[in-house]
Amino acid sequence: MKTMNGLRVALGIAIVVASISAWAQDGASAAASAGTAVTASGGMTTKAVRQANRALRRKVYAALAKHKEIDAGDISVTAKGGAVMLNGTVPDALQINTVVEVAKGVEGVTSVTSKLTVQRPFGQ
Amino acid sequence: MKLKWSGVAVLAICASAAHAQSSVTLYGAIDSGLVYQSTTASSFAPTAHNNGHVFAFKDGSIYASFWGIKGTEDIGGGYKVNFRLQGVFNSGTGKLGLADTTGGTAVFNQQTTIGISGPFGTFDAGRQYTPMIYAMADTDVRAAQYFGSILGAWLGVNQAAGWPGTNTNVPIGALYDSNALVYQSPKFYGSSLALEYAPGGVPGQIQGGTRESAVLRYSNYGLNLSAVYYNAHDTNLAAATPTGLDNNRLYYFGAKYTFHSVSVSASYGIGKNPSNTSQADYELISGGLGYQFTPFFKITSGFYYLKDRNNSANHSSEYAVGAEYSLSKRTIVSAQVGYVANRGTMNQTIVYGQPVAPGVSTTAAMIGLRHSF
Repeated sequence: MKTMNGLRVALGIAIVVASISAWAQDGASAAASAGTAVTASGGMTTKAVRQANRALRRKVYAALAKHKEIDAGDISVTAKGGAVMLNGTVPDALQINTVVEVAKGVEGVTSVTSKLTVQRPFGQ
Repeated sequence: MKLKWSGVAVLAICASAAHAQSSVTLYGAIDSGLVYQSTTASSFAPTAHNNGHVFAFKDGSIYASFWGIKGTEDIGGGYKVNFRLQGVFNSGTGKLGLADTTGGTAVFNQQTTIGISGPFGTFDAGRQYTPMIYAMADTDVRAAQYFGSILGAWLGVNQAAGWPGTNTNVPIGALYDSNALVYQSPKFYGSSLALEYAPGGVPGQIQGGTRESAVLRYSNYGLNLSAVYYNAHDTNLAAATPTGLDNNRLYYFGAKYTFHSVSVSASYGIGKNPSNTSQADYELISGGLGYQFTPFFKITSGFYYLKDRNNSANHSSEYAVGAEYSLSKRTIVSAQVGYVANRGTMNQTIVYGQPVAPGVSTTAAMIGLRHSF
Protein backbone atom coordinates (compact mmCIF):
# COMPACT_ATOMS: atom_id res chain seq x y z
CA MET A 1 0.00 0.00 0.00
CA LYS A 2 2.80 2.41 0.94
CA THR A 3 4.75 1.62 -2.20
CA MET A 4 1.60 2.13 -4.23
CA ASN A 5 1.06 5.54 -2.65
CA GLY A 6 4.67 6.36 -3.44
CA LEU A 7 4.21 5.31 -7.02
CA ARG A 8 1.09 7.42 -7.36
CA VAL A 9 2.79 10.43 -5.89
CA ALA A 10 5.81 9.93 -8.15
CA LEU A 11 3.64 9.67 -11.25
CA GLY A 12 1.67 12.70 -10.16
CA ILE A 13 4.85 14.69 -9.64
CA ALA A 14 6.24 13.54 -12.98
CA ILE A 15 3.19 14.83 -14.80
CA VAL A 16 3.11 18.09 -12.89
CA VAL A 17 6.82 18.70 -13.46
CA ALA A 18 6.45 17.92 -17.13
CA SER A 19 3.60 20.36 -17.49
CA ILE A 20 5.36 23.06 -15.47
CA SER A 21 8.53 22.82 -17.52
CA ALA A 22 6.45 23.00 -20.65
CA TRP A 23 4.65 26.06 -19.39
CA ALA A 24 7.91 27.65 -18.39
CA GLN A 25 9.40 27.00 -21.80
CA ASP A 26 6.34 28.41 -23.40
CA GLY A 27 6.46 31.53 -21.27
CA ALA A 28 10.09 32.10 -22.19
CA SER A 29 9.51 31.80 -25.91
CA ALA A 30 6.39 33.95 -25.66
CA ALA A 31 8.45 36.66 -24.01
CA ALA A 32 11.11 36.33 -26.68
CA SER A 33 8.66 36.63 -29.52
CA ALA A 34 6.86 39.48 -27.79
CA GLY A 35 10.23 41.21 -27.69
CA THR A 36 10.72 40.84 -31.42
CA ALA A 37 7.16 41.91 -32.02
CA VAL A 38 7.83 45.16 -30.15
CA THR A 39 10.80 46.00 -32.34
CA ALA A 40 9.04 44.92 -35.49
CA SER A 41 5.87 46.84 -34.91
CA GLY A 42 7.73 49.93 -33.80
CA GLY A 43 6.89 50.09 -30.09
CA MET A 44 3.69 48.11 -29.66
CA THR A 45 3.22 47.46 -25.96
CA THR A 46 3.33 43.90 -24.64
CA LYS A 47 -0.36 44.22 -23.84
CA ALA A 48 -1.23 45.26 -27.37
CA VAL A 49 0.83 42.37 -28.74
CA ARG A 50 -1.02 39.92 -26.51
CA GLN A 51 -4.35 41.35 -27.59
CA ALA A 52 -3.39 41.02 -31.24
CA ASN A 53 -2.32 37.39 -30.64
CA ARG A 54 -5.60 36.58 -28.95
CA ALA A 55 -7.59 38.26 -31.73
CA LEU A 56 -5.78 36.21 -34.37
CA ARG A 57 -6.37 33.05 -32.33
CA ARG A 58 -10.11 33.79 -32.28
CA LYS A 59 -10.11 34.44 -36.04
CA VAL A 60 -8.56 31.04 -36.70
CA TYR A 61 -11.16 29.32 -34.49
CA ALA A 62 -13.96 31.25 -36.23
CA ALA A 63 -12.62 30.03 -39.58
CA LEU A 64 -12.46 26.43 -38.29
CA ALA A 65 -16.07 26.65 -37.08
CA LYS A 66 -17.18 27.06 -40.70
CA HIS A 67 -15.93 23.54 -41.40
CA LYS A 68 -18.61 21.47 -39.72
CA GLU A 69 -16.61 18.25 -39.84
CA ILE A 70 -13.85 19.72 -37.65
CA ASP A 71 -14.15 19.49 -33.86
CA ALA A 72 -12.10 22.52 -32.88
CA GLY A 73 -12.78 21.75 -29.23
CA ASP A 74 -9.98 19.17 -29.50
CA ILE A 75 -7.59 21.64 -31.11
CA SER A 76 -5.42 24.24 -29.43
CA VAL A 77 -4.68 27.31 -31.55
CA THR A 78 -2.13 29.85 -30.31
CA ALA A 79 -0.65 32.82 -32.13
CA LYS A 80 2.55 34.80 -31.71
CA GLY A 81 2.81 37.59 -34.19
CA GLY A 82 1.48 35.98 -37.33
CA ALA A 83 2.86 32.55 -36.41
CA VAL A 84 0.14 30.08 -35.50
CA MET A 85 0.78 26.91 -33.51
CA LEU A 86 -1.68 24.02 -33.67
CA ASN A 87 -1.84 21.31 -30.97
CA GLY A 88 -4.38 18.66 -30.12
CA THR A 89 -6.13 15.92 -32.03
CA VAL A 90 -8.27 15.26 -35.10
CA PRO A 91 -10.21 12.04 -35.77
CA ASP A 92 -8.79 11.46 -39.24
CA ALA A 93 -5.32 12.02 -40.76
CA LEU A 94 -6.82 13.90 -43.73
CA GLN A 95 -8.17 16.55 -41.36
CA ILE A 96 -4.65 17.62 -40.29
CA ASN A 97 -4.12 19.11 -43.73
CA THR A 98 -7.58 20.72 -43.76
CA VAL A 99 -6.99 22.41 -40.41
CA VAL A 100 -3.54 23.67 -41.47
CA GLU A 101 -4.94 25.03 -44.75
CA VAL A 102 -7.85 26.76 -43.00
CA ALA A 103 -5.43 28.39 -40.55
CA LYS A 104 -3.13 29.49 -43.39
CA GLY A 105 -6.09 31.09 -45.16
CA VAL A 106 -6.87 33.40 -42.23
CA GLU A 107 -5.83 37.01 -42.81
CA GLY A 108 -2.80 37.94 -40.73
CA VAL A 109 -1.43 34.41 -40.44
CA THR A 110 2.13 34.27 -41.77
CA SER A 111 3.08 30.72 -40.80
CA VAL A 112 1.46 27.61 -39.34
CA THR A 113 3.21 24.96 -37.24
CA SER A 114 1.19 21.79 -36.72
CA LYS A 115 1.68 19.36 -33.87
CA LEU A 116 -1.75 17.85 -34.49
CA THR A 117 -2.10 14.11 -34.02
CA VAL A 118 -4.75 11.61 -35.01
CA GLN A 119 -6.97 10.19 -32.31
CA ARG A 120 -9.56 7.87 -33.77
CA PRO A 121 -13.07 8.66 -32.55
CA PHE A 122 -14.53 6.51 -29.80
CA GLY A 123 -15.59 3.12 -31.15
CA GLN A 124 -13.73 3.31 -34.45
CA MET B 1 -0.51 -4.74 -79.06
CA LYS B 2 0.66 -6.50 -75.94
CA LEU B 3 1.35 -3.14 -74.40
CA LYS B 4 -2.10 -1.90 -75.32
CA TRP B 5 -3.84 -4.83 -73.68
CA SER B 6 -1.79 -4.52 -70.53
CA GLY B 7 -2.75 -0.86 -70.48
CA VAL B 8 -6.42 -1.78 -70.68
CA ALA B 9 -5.94 -4.35 -67.93
CA VAL B 10 -4.31 -1.78 -65.65
CA LEU B 11 -7.15 0.65 -66.32
CA ALA B 12 -9.74 -2.00 -65.62
CA ILE B 13 -8.06 -2.95 -62.31
CA CYS B 14 -7.74 0.69 -61.27
CA ALA B 15 -11.38 1.32 -62.10
CA SER B 16 -12.61 -1.65 -60.09
CA ALA B 17 -10.33 -0.74 -57.17
CA ALA B 18 -11.57 2.84 -57.16
CA HIS B 19 -15.14 1.67 -57.31
CA ALA B 20 -14.68 -0.73 -54.40
CA GLN B 21 -13.01 1.96 -52.31
CA SER B 22 -15.80 4.45 -52.75
CA SER B 23 -18.57 2.02 -51.87
CA VAL B 24 -17.41 -0.30 -49.06
CA THR B 25 -14.59 -0.08 -46.52
CA LEU B 26 -13.36 -2.86 -44.27
CA TYR B 27 -11.84 -1.47 -41.06
CA GLY B 28 -11.06 -2.33 -37.46
CA ALA B 29 -8.32 -2.87 -34.90
CA ILE B 30 -6.58 -5.65 -33.04
CA ASP B 31 -5.55 -4.76 -29.52
CA SER B 32 -3.84 -7.20 -27.17
CA GLY B 33 -2.17 -6.76 -23.83
CA LEU B 34 -0.82 -8.30 -20.67
CA VAL B 35 -2.40 -7.32 -17.40
CA TYR B 36 -1.54 -7.77 -13.75
CA GLN B 37 -4.24 -7.14 -11.16
CA SER B 38 -3.91 -7.48 -7.38
CA THR B 39 -7.49 -8.70 -6.73
CA THR B 40 -10.07 -10.48 -8.86
CA ALA B 41 -13.63 -11.73 -8.63
CA SER B 42 -15.55 -14.17 -10.75
CA SER B 43 -18.56 -11.84 -11.08
CA PHE B 44 -19.78 -8.29 -10.44
CA ALA B 45 -21.83 -9.47 -7.44
CA PRO B 46 -21.46 -7.05 -4.47
CA THR B 47 -20.51 -9.98 -2.24
CA ALA B 48 -18.13 -11.67 -4.69
CA HIS B 49 -15.17 -13.48 -3.16
CA ASN B 50 -11.64 -12.11 -3.66
CA ASN B 51 -9.90 -14.71 -5.83
CA GLY B 52 -6.51 -13.05 -5.37
CA HIS B 53 -4.10 -11.59 -7.92
CA VAL B 54 -4.02 -12.49 -11.57
CA PHE B 55 -1.62 -12.19 -14.50
CA ALA B 56 -3.41 -12.58 -17.82
CA PHE B 57 -3.55 -12.00 -21.54
CA LYS B 58 -6.19 -9.32 -22.11
CA ASP B 59 -8.04 -8.05 -25.14
CA GLY B 60 -8.30 -4.26 -25.36
CA SER B 61 -5.51 -2.10 -23.89
CA ILE B 62 -6.94 1.09 -25.40
CA TYR B 63 -10.28 -0.05 -26.87
CA ALA B 64 -11.68 -3.45 -27.80
CA SER B 65 -10.49 -5.40 -30.82
CA PHE B 66 -13.17 -4.98 -33.45
CA TRP B 67 -13.87 -5.07 -37.15
CA GLY B 68 -16.48 -3.55 -39.36
CA ILE B 69 -17.73 -2.84 -42.83
CA LYS B 70 -19.05 0.56 -43.80
CA GLY B 71 -20.29 2.07 -46.98
CA THR B 72 -21.67 5.25 -48.44
CA GLU B 73 -23.68 5.93 -51.55
CA ASP B 74 -24.00 9.47 -52.84
CA ILE B 75 -27.59 9.86 -54.02
CA GLY B 76 -27.17 13.46 -55.15
CA GLY B 77 -28.41 16.79 -53.85
CA GLY B 78 -25.98 16.58 -50.93
CA TYR B 79 -27.63 13.43 -49.58
CA LYS B 80 -25.90 10.14 -48.83
CA VAL B 81 -27.06 6.71 -47.79
CA ASN B 82 -24.75 5.18 -45.18
CA PHE B 83 -24.50 1.76 -43.61
CA ARG B 84 -22.25 0.27 -40.97
CA LEU B 85 -21.81 -3.22 -39.53
CA GLN B 86 -19.39 -3.45 -36.61
CA GLY B 87 -18.61 -5.90 -33.84
CA VAL B 88 -15.96 -6.72 -31.29
CA PHE B 89 -13.96 -9.91 -31.06
CA ASN B 90 -11.62 -11.10 -28.33
CA SER B 91 -8.06 -11.02 -29.66
CA GLY B 92 -7.03 -13.67 -27.12
CA THR B 93 -9.75 -16.23 -27.83
CA GLY B 94 -11.51 -15.15 -31.02
CA LYS B 95 -14.82 -15.05 -29.19
CA LEU B 96 -17.55 -12.58 -30.12
CA GLY B 97 -18.81 -9.72 -27.97
CA LEU B 98 -21.90 -9.40 -25.77
CA ALA B 99 -25.38 -8.86 -27.19
CA ASP B 100 -28.31 -7.15 -25.48
CA THR B 101 -29.74 -10.33 -23.97
CA THR B 102 -28.09 -12.18 -21.09
CA GLY B 103 -25.45 -14.66 -22.10
CA GLY B 104 -25.90 -13.98 -25.82
CA THR B 105 -23.25 -12.84 -28.28
CA ALA B 106 -23.61 -11.14 -31.66
CA VAL B 107 -21.35 -10.91 -34.70
CA PHE B 108 -22.11 -7.21 -35.09
CA ASN B 109 -22.71 -6.39 -31.42
CA GLN B 110 -21.64 -2.74 -31.73
CA GLN B 111 -23.38 -1.32 -34.76
CA THR B 112 -25.80 -2.41 -37.45
CA THR B 113 -27.06 0.82 -38.95
CA ILE B 114 -28.61 2.09 -42.12
CA GLY B 115 -29.20 5.81 -42.47
CA ILE B 116 -29.20 9.00 -44.45
CA SER B 117 -27.03 12.07 -44.09
CA GLY B 118 -27.45 15.45 -45.71
CA PRO B 119 -27.80 19.16 -45.03
CA PHE B 120 -30.31 18.34 -42.27
CA GLY B 121 -27.75 16.28 -40.33
CA THR B 122 -27.43 12.52 -39.93
CA PHE B 123 -30.05 9.90 -39.23
CA ASP B 124 -29.14 6.28 -38.38
CA ALA B 125 -31.42 3.37 -37.55
CA GLY B 126 -30.44 0.10 -35.89
CA ARG B 127 -28.21 -1.09 -33.08
CA GLN B 128 -25.63 1.58 -32.41
CA TYR B 129 -23.52 3.51 -29.92
CA THR B 130 -25.67 5.86 -27.88
CA PRO B 131 -24.95 9.58 -28.29
CA MET B 132 -24.15 9.75 -24.54
CA ILE B 133 -21.00 7.67 -24.83
CA TYR B 134 -19.46 10.01 -27.42
CA ALA B 135 -20.31 12.93 -25.13
CA MET B 136 -18.48 11.18 -22.29
CA ALA B 137 -15.45 10.30 -24.43
CA ASP B 138 -15.27 13.96 -25.59
CA THR B 139 -15.03 15.24 -22.05
CA ASP B 140 -12.56 12.73 -20.60
CA VAL B 141 -8.82 13.23 -21.12
CA ARG B 142 -8.58 9.41 -21.05
CA ALA B 143 -11.18 9.32 -23.86
CA ALA B 144 -13.40 6.59 -22.33
CA GLN B 145 -10.66 4.02 -22.98
CA TYR B 146 -10.68 0.46 -21.68
CA PHE B 147 -8.18 1.09 -18.88
CA GLY B 148 -9.12 3.52 -16.08
CA SER B 149 -11.50 6.00 -17.71
CA ILE B 150 -15.00 7.49 -17.61
CA LEU B 151 -16.21 4.30 -19.32
CA GLY B 152 -15.11 2.10 -16.41
CA ALA B 153 -16.44 4.65 -13.90
CA TRP B 154 -19.87 4.73 -15.54
CA LEU B 155 -19.88 0.92 -15.72
CA GLY B 156 -18.93 0.94 -12.02
CA VAL B 157 -22.20 2.76 -11.37
CA ASN B 158 -23.99 0.05 -13.35
CA GLN B 159 -22.27 -2.76 -11.44
CA ALA B 160 -23.38 -1.09 -8.20
CA ALA B 161 -26.92 -0.87 -9.62
CA GLY B 162 -26.96 -4.62 -10.24
CA TRP B 163 -25.65 -5.09 -13.78
CA PRO B 164 -24.28 -8.65 -14.00
CA GLY B 165 -21.91 -7.87 -16.90
CA THR B 166 -23.43 -10.58 -19.07
CA ASN B 167 -25.42 -8.34 -21.45
CA THR B 168 -25.23 -4.80 -22.86
CA ASN B 169 -28.62 -3.85 -21.43
CA VAL B 170 -27.35 -1.88 -18.42
CA PRO B 171 -29.47 -0.27 -15.67
CA ILE B 172 -28.02 3.27 -15.95
CA GLY B 173 -27.52 4.84 -19.39
CA ALA B 174 -26.31 2.68 -22.26
CA LEU B 175 -23.22 2.11 -24.37
CA TYR B 176 -25.19 0.54 -27.24
CA ASP B 177 -28.93 0.56 -27.83
CA SER B 178 -30.72 -1.93 -30.06
CA ASN B 179 -33.51 -0.88 -32.45
CA ALA B 180 -32.53 2.77 -31.98
CA LEU B 181 -33.30 5.79 -34.15
CA VAL B 182 -30.65 8.49 -33.74
CA TYR B 183 -30.66 11.97 -35.23
CA GLN B 184 -27.50 14.08 -35.16
CA SER B 185 -27.85 17.75 -36.10
CA PRO B 186 -25.21 19.59 -38.10
CA LYS B 187 -22.89 21.84 -36.12
CA PHE B 188 -23.94 25.43 -35.59
CA TYR B 189 -21.01 27.58 -34.37
CA GLY B 190 -19.59 24.45 -32.74
CA SER B 191 -22.88 23.35 -31.11
CA SER B 192 -24.82 20.25 -32.05
CA LEU B 193 -27.71 18.20 -30.77
CA ALA B 194 -28.30 14.44 -30.86
CA LEU B 195 -31.70 12.86 -30.21
CA GLU B 196 -32.38 9.17 -29.75
CA TYR B 197 -35.57 7.15 -29.60
CA ALA B 198 -35.77 3.37 -29.49
CA PRO B 199 -39.24 1.82 -29.60
CA GLY B 200 -39.64 -1.02 -27.13
CA GLY B 201 -41.55 -3.45 -29.32
CA VAL B 202 -43.42 -4.80 -26.30
CA PRO B 203 -46.94 -6.01 -27.23
CA GLY B 204 -49.72 -4.10 -25.49
CA GLN B 205 -47.39 -1.42 -24.12
CA ILE B 206 -46.38 1.85 -25.71
CA GLN B 207 -43.67 2.61 -23.09
CA GLY B 208 -42.41 -0.90 -22.40
CA GLY B 209 -38.73 -1.26 -23.28
CA THR B 210 -38.39 2.21 -24.83
CA ARG B 211 -35.30 4.42 -24.58
CA GLU B 212 -34.89 8.10 -25.29
CA SER B 213 -31.97 10.45 -24.93
CA ALA B 214 -30.84 13.95 -25.78
CA VAL B 215 -27.23 15.09 -25.93
CA LEU B 216 -26.06 18.67 -26.39
CA ARG B 217 -22.44 19.18 -27.39
CA TYR B 218 -20.20 22.13 -28.02
CA SER B 219 -16.78 21.89 -29.63
CA ASN B 220 -14.70 24.96 -30.51
CA TYR B 221 -12.01 27.28 -29.10
CA GLY B 222 -10.19 24.26 -27.65
CA LEU B 223 -13.22 23.53 -25.47
CA ASN B 224 -15.55 20.53 -25.50
CA LEU B 225 -18.74 20.76 -23.46
CA SER B 226 -21.44 18.13 -23.22
CA ALA B 227 -24.76 17.65 -21.46
CA VAL B 228 -26.53 14.29 -21.45
CA TYR B 229 -30.06 13.25 -20.59
CA TYR B 230 -30.79 9.54 -20.93
CA ASN B 231 -34.01 7.83 -19.93
CA ALA B 232 -35.24 4.28 -20.48
CA HIS B 233 -37.90 1.82 -19.47
CA ASP B 234 -37.40 -1.80 -18.44
CA THR B 235 -33.62 -1.85 -18.89
CA ASN B 236 -31.40 -4.44 -17.24
CA LEU B 237 -33.87 -7.15 -18.21
CA ALA B 238 -31.81 -9.94 -16.67
CA ALA B 239 -34.69 -11.00 -14.43
CA ALA B 240 -37.75 -8.94 -15.29
CA THR B 241 -40.49 -8.95 -17.88
CA PRO B 242 -41.31 -5.52 -19.38
CA THR B 243 -43.78 -3.48 -17.33
CA GLY B 244 -43.27 -0.06 -18.90
CA LEU B 245 -41.59 1.12 -15.70
CA ASP B 246 -39.30 4.14 -16.12
CA ASN B 247 -36.23 2.68 -14.41
CA ASN B 248 -33.08 4.10 -16.03
CA ARG B 249 -31.97 7.72 -15.97
CA LEU B 250 -28.62 9.40 -16.36
CA TYR B 251 -27.65 13.07 -16.26
CA TYR B 252 -24.09 13.94 -17.20
CA PHE B 253 -22.22 17.22 -17.67
CA GLY B 254 -18.62 17.31 -18.84
CA ALA B 255 -15.92 19.64 -20.11
CA LYS B 256 -12.48 19.26 -21.62
CA TYR B 257 -10.05 22.04 -22.47
CA THR B 258 -6.93 21.78 -24.63
CA PHE B 259 -4.29 24.50 -24.55
CA HIS B 260 -0.88 23.98 -26.13
CA SER B 261 0.05 20.40 -25.20
CA VAL B 262 -2.05 20.25 -22.04
CA SER B 263 -5.57 18.85 -21.75
CA VAL B 264 -7.75 19.01 -18.65
CA SER B 265 -11.20 17.54 -18.15
CA ALA B 266 -13.90 17.36 -15.50
CA SER B 267 -17.37 15.89 -15.32
CA TYR B 268 -20.30 15.26 -13.02
CA GLY B 269 -23.07 12.71 -13.42
CA ILE B 270 -26.10 11.32 -11.63
CA GLY B 271 -27.48 7.88 -12.39
CA LYS B 272 -30.65 6.58 -10.83
CA ASN B 273 -33.79 4.50 -11.06
CA PRO B 274 -36.42 7.27 -11.25
CA SER B 275 -39.24 4.87 -10.28
CA ASN B 276 -37.44 3.76 -7.15
CA THR B 277 -34.44 5.87 -6.13
CA SER B 278 -33.88 3.69 -3.06
CA GLN B 279 -32.80 0.95 -5.50
CA ALA B 280 -30.29 3.01 -7.43
CA ASP B 281 -29.06 6.56 -6.89
CA TYR B 282 -25.42 7.27 -7.67
CA GLU B 283 -23.07 10.15 -8.26
CA LEU B 284 -20.06 10.18 -10.55
CA ILE B 285 -17.27 12.77 -10.51
CA SER B 286 -14.24 12.74 -12.79
CA GLY B 287 -11.12 14.77 -13.43
CA GLY B 288 -8.39 14.35 -16.02
CA LEU B 289 -4.99 15.79 -16.95
CA GLY B 290 -2.97 14.94 -20.04
CA TYR B 291 0.20 16.09 -21.72
CA GLN B 292 1.22 15.52 -25.33
CA PHE B 293 5.03 15.48 -25.23
CA THR B 294 5.51 14.96 -28.96
CA PRO B 295 3.05 14.10 -31.72
CA PHE B 296 3.97 10.46 -31.02
CA PHE B 297 3.99 10.35 -27.23
CA LYS B 298 1.46 11.35 -24.61
CA ILE B 299 0.67 10.71 -20.97
CA THR B 300 -2.89 10.95 -19.70
CA SER B 301 -4.21 10.60 -16.17
CA GLY B 302 -7.64 10.51 -14.62
CA PHE B 303 -9.47 10.43 -11.31
CA TYR B 304 -12.90 8.82 -11.00
CA TYR B 305 -15.08 8.99 -7.90
CA LEU B 306 -18.35 7.10 -7.40
CA LYS B 307 -20.76 7.54 -4.54
CA ASP B 308 -23.91 5.67 -3.50
CA ARG B 309 -26.38 8.34 -2.36
CA ASN B 310 -28.46 5.71 -0.57
CA ASN B 311 -25.59 4.37 1.53
CA SER B 312 -22.55 6.52 2.29
CA ALA B 313 -20.48 3.41 3.10
CA ASN B 314 -20.39 2.59 -0.61
CA HIS B 315 -17.92 4.73 -2.54
CA SER B 316 -15.01 4.26 -4.90
CA SER B 317 -11.97 6.35 -5.90
CA GLU B 318 -9.86 5.43 -8.87
CA TYR B 319 -6.63 6.87 -10.25
CA ALA B 320 -5.19 5.88 -13.61
CA VAL B 321 -2.13 6.96 -15.56
CA GLY B 322 -1.19 5.79 -19.03
CA ALA B 323 1.57 6.43 -21.56
CA GLU B 324 0.88 5.91 -25.25
CA TYR B 325 3.55 5.87 -27.92
CA SER B 326 2.69 5.73 -31.63
CA LEU B 327 5.08 3.41 -33.47
CA SER B 328 3.38 4.42 -36.72
CA LYS B 329 0.17 6.04 -37.88
CA ARG B 330 -1.68 2.80 -37.18
CA THR B 331 0.14 1.19 -34.26
CA ILE B 332 0.23 2.28 -30.63
CA VAL B 333 2.10 0.73 -27.70
CA SER B 334 0.88 1.61 -24.23
CA ALA B 335 1.77 1.15 -20.58
CA GLN B 336 -0.83 1.96 -17.93
CA VAL B 337 -1.12 1.80 -14.15
CA GLY B 338 -4.25 2.15 -12.06
CA TYR B 339 -5.34 2.06 -8.45
CA VAL B 340 -8.87 1.86 -7.12
CA ALA B 341 -10.07 2.13 -3.52
CA ASN B 342 -13.47 0.40 -3.46
CA ARG B 343 -15.42 0.67 -0.23
CA GLY B 344 -18.62 -1.00 0.94
CA THR B 345 -20.06 -3.03 -1.92
CA MET B 346 -18.46 -0.94 -4.70
CA ASN B 347 -16.43 -2.78 -7.35
CA GLN B 348 -15.37 -0.15 -9.91
CA THR B 349 -12.95 -1.91 -12.28
CA ILE B 350 -9.64 -0.61 -13.57
CA VAL B 351 -9.54 -2.79 -16.68
CA TYR B 352 -12.70 -3.19 -18.79
CA GLY B 353 -14.22 -6.65 -18.32
CA GLN B 354 -11.78 -7.64 -15.55
CA PRO B 355 -13.79 -7.72 -12.27
CA VAL B 356 -12.08 -6.64 -9.03
CA ALA B 357 -12.97 -7.81 -5.52
CA PRO B 358 -15.63 -5.51 -4.00
CA GLY B 359 -14.91 -3.30 -0.98
CA VAL B 360 -11.11 -3.50 -1.12
CA SER B 361 -8.28 -1.66 -2.84
CA THR B 362 -6.92 -2.99 -6.12
CA THR B 363 -3.91 -2.14 -8.25
CA ALA B 364 -3.53 -3.01 -11.92
CA ALA B 365 -0.87 -2.57 -14.56
CA MET B 366 -1.11 -3.27 -18.26
CA ILE B 367 1.01 -3.13 -21.37
CA GLY B 368 -0.58 -3.37 -24.78
CA LEU B 369 -0.19 -3.18 -28.54
CA ARG B 370 -2.97 -1.83 -30.77
CA HIS B 371 -2.97 -1.88 -34.55
CA SER B 372 -5.74 -0.24 -36.56
CA PHE B 373 -6.60 -1.25 -40.08
